[in-house]
This record gives sequence, structure tokens and C-alpha cells, in this order.
Amino acid sequence: MLAHPEKALEIVELEKRYPNGVEALRGVSITIEPGDFYGLLGPNGAGKSTLIHCTTGLAQPTGGTIHVFGHDAISDYGEARAAVGLAPQEVNLDQFLTCEETLEFHGGYFGMRKQDRKERTEELLETFSLTAKARERTRALSGGMKRRLILARALMHRPRLLILDEPTAGVDIELRLELWHYVQKINAEGVTILLTTHYLEEADQLCGRIAFIADGQIAAQGTSEDLAARYDVANLEDAYLALVGRRELSRSHVEGGVAA
Amino acid sequence: MTTAQIRFLSLWRREISRFMKIKKQTLGGPLLETFLYISVFGGALGSRIKELHGIEYIVFVIPGLIMMALATNAFTNNSSSILQQKFMGAIHDQLSSPASPRELLLAFCLGGFVRGLIVATLTFLVAIVLTSLGVAHVLVLIPAIVLVGFFFANLGVLIGVRAEQFDDVAFAQTFILTPLIFLGGVFYSASLLPQPWETLTKFNPVYYMISLVRYGFVGFTEVNIPLALGALTLATAALFLFNLRLFQRGYKLRS
Repeated sequence: MLAHPEKALEIVELEKRYPNGVEALRGVSITIEPGDFYGLLGPNGAGKSTLIHCTTGLAQPTGGTIHVFGHDAISDYGEARAAVGLAPQEVNLDQFLTCEETLEFHGGYFGMRKQDRKERTEELLETFSLTAKARERTRALSGGMKRRLILARALMHRPRLLILDEPTAGVDIELRLELWHYVQKINAEGVTILLTTHYLEEADQLCGRIAFIADGQIAAQGTSEDLAARYDVANLEDAYLALVGRRELSRSHVEGGVAA
Repeated sequence: MTTAQIRFLSLWRREISRFMKIKKQTLGGPLLETFLYISVFGGALGSRIKELHGIEYIVFVIPGLIMMALATNAFTNNSSSILQQKFMGAIHDQLSSPASPRELLLAFCLGGFVRGLIVATLTFLVAIVLTSLGVAHVLVLIPAIVLVGFFFANLGVLIGVRAEQFDDVAFAQTFILTPLIFLGGVFYSASLLPQPWETLTKFNPVYYMISLVRYGFVGFTEVNIPLALGALTLATAALFLFNLRLFQRGYKLRS
């Protein structure tokens, strides 16, 4: 029996303590509805990537539960992982493989049949303007192309939940806007998206709901407006600055200061 | 084909694809090395030793070289592949897939086994053309080759998973594997060694592996064949189960 199959991602009281004693997650609970575009914001080391790693099987939680479309991420990991596509923060492409092989093997890991893998690979290479590089090894790609290939790989098996861990870190403005358009399009088509980012305007523009995570705990969650109201400030950026205890960096203060 | 079969075959094909892309290094190099051993020990030394236990020296040595090629290539392939993937982070693509720990481990094992088998087979083919090497006991040779290949493929997985830098893999290969193989009787018969070396050799597990393979090819042995096969089967199974436990726990693979 599936636990809340109507929820795309349901994390309850998630804990992660590393063997060295560091508590990366301390009772995190979030629920993401199907079709949501959900943002997870927090300073470096807050626990964003650990939460994503626990969800995708790259880290083992020490407490709590994770369900992906009702499937337990630990006891029913096969079904849970099959529903998730992960575009990680770091470029983790296999340098021995070509772009085509990267997608083809990934599809195979998720049980896609040969003809389906071939067609989906061609489709994604075309979508991400990588067709000309199909037979080139990934190490020969530019930074932006690698980023596009990582996103294509995450989408290869048609996941229902796409996790983007800082997908636009270090990419140029053109590619960033291109990625925004693409993820908005697939979200409109029904794919649920969990996005972590340091770009607040990115979260503000893309995400319907946002959670602030700090020191391994969810500090607040809601819409951009909810968060601004929660911290009694004008916008998401100021709410974030309040979260990290740096209200003095608010643009309104700086601009006010300059004007004065 | 089931989803699980597609998954396993894809994991395995990736392993084969990795070493086939760099075959000058992964297949050509080991083959050249084996032929150099045959030339030096067969040609140069063989012209003086002539025979061991009534067997032409070069024919006596080649089964050991075939076993060495199988073992080192199965080991090196897996230890390097896993460590490289850990460094690149590319292993996360497999770890975050629905593949089970058993599927992942088997795919790695079979990848290394195939590489070892290719080099061993090519060495054998050249040897039957150049020498009078034949197969004396195929029913011992086949299980011996399969078990030795899987044992060292598993050993490679273990070292690759535990390793945190390339030095760790090089250390295991240079300071553990190579001495065990060289001192296991590839180039000589243990019974010809003075004491205590003869007795010490019998504490080396590789000695029994070489003896099994040599018995399969030339019919000569100094060990109890059924006992050696049984012990090797148990050792291979134990190592596989140990690795499986590491994969299930995510030891040095998942944080």
C-alpha cells in the first residue's frame, strides 16, 4: 500500500548525522504536491544537498521517512528512484563516454528499452542543442554544454519529479534563461520540480512555494509573499537576509544609504 | 527482456565500453607484457631449463602466465573503474538509479572478468600456435578460470571501493598482488624450492590457483585438485558476499 501517493515528495522528520558527528539534517519535514515548482533556499552547508542526496539514495538518512509518489525511498527504493531525475550541483559526467552514450546508458539504468532510449536520446540532444556533439566525449564539452547534458540526463527516463541542485551555478546569462524557459515548460507539462539555488530572483520567478533551510532545519516555508510577511520585510531577498542574520545587506538599506 | 535485465546489461555494457575505449592500455599493454614474459622466461631461461617435471619449461610456465593475465586484468579493471568513477562523481548516476546493490556489484565483477578473460584467451591462442600447449582437463580448467577471474574481479571491487586515491590501488597491486602471484609458482614448481620456501609457498592462496589452472592445461599438479577447487569456490563466494554487504551499506559509495 502506497503512503500518500498523491504527494510528489513527502519528507517527515528527516535526520542525517554523519559518522563524524555532524548533524546535517535535524528533523526536516516538507511536502511537495504533484506539479509544484518548489524552491529550497539556504546558505552553504545548510543541508540542501544532503536532503537531495537522501532523497535520491546517495546518502543514507539516520532518521525520518521519505516518500516519492508514495514509495518509500529506502524500502521501495527502485520505484522511488525511478520517479526521480537528478541534476546535481557538481559536474559528474563520465569522461570516458560520449554525450550519446551518457544518455543511452542512463536510460538503460532506468530500464528503458533500446528503441525508446534511441529516440529519447535524439530528442534530448536536439532539445539541448547537443546533436552536433552527440559522438564527442563529455570531457570535450564546454562548461555550458556539460550543464545542458546533465539536465538532459536527468530528464532521460521521463521522471515525474525533477531535482535541480543549483543548476545555474556558474553558467552564463543566456544559458540560465534558456534553462529557466525549459524547466518552466516541463513544469507546465506536469513534471514536479524541486530546485535549490543561491539566486533569489531565480527562486522568486520560478517557484510557487519556497522553503528556507538553515542549520539542518526548515526555518520557514510558503510563497515568496508568505516568507516576506513572515520576516516582516518587503521581498524574498530581504526575507533571506533576515534568515541568515544579515539584514544590513538589504538593498533598501544600501540604496537608502546612498540616497541619503 | 525485463526492466531488471535491461538495467543489469546497461551497467555491464558500460564497464565493457570503458576498457574497450582505451584498449591500447587495457588490452594491448597486458598482452605485450605477457609476451615479454614468454620471450624472457620461455625463450631465454627455457633454453637452459628445458623441462620441469617432464614438461617443456615454456609449456609449464604459460598456464601461470595465463592465470596471471586473468587475475591482474580482472583486478586492475575493477579497482580503476570504481575509483575513477568515484573521482568523477559519475558513479552517482548508477547509485541513484533503481539498480540494486547486487546488480551493481555483479556488473562491475563481470566487467573485470571479461577484460581478464579477453587477455587470457588471446595469450592462450598465441601460445597454442607457438608452443605445444594443450588442454588436459577441461572440466577443471573451466571452473578454475571462472573462479580465479571472479575472485580477482571481486578483489578489485573491494580495493576500488575502499580506495581514496590512486596510490591505494597502486599499493595493493604492487605490494600485495604482484608478490603473491610471482611467489605463487608462475615460473617454477614449489617442490623444487629449498625449505622453508617450499612450505611458505603453500601458505600463498595464489599457489593453489596457479596449480589449478596448470593442471587444467598440462595435467601436472602438486595440490589436491578437488580440495583446491572447493576452497577457491568458498573464498570467491565469501568475497562476493562481503562486497555485497559493502554495497548494501553503501560503504564509501553513499555518504
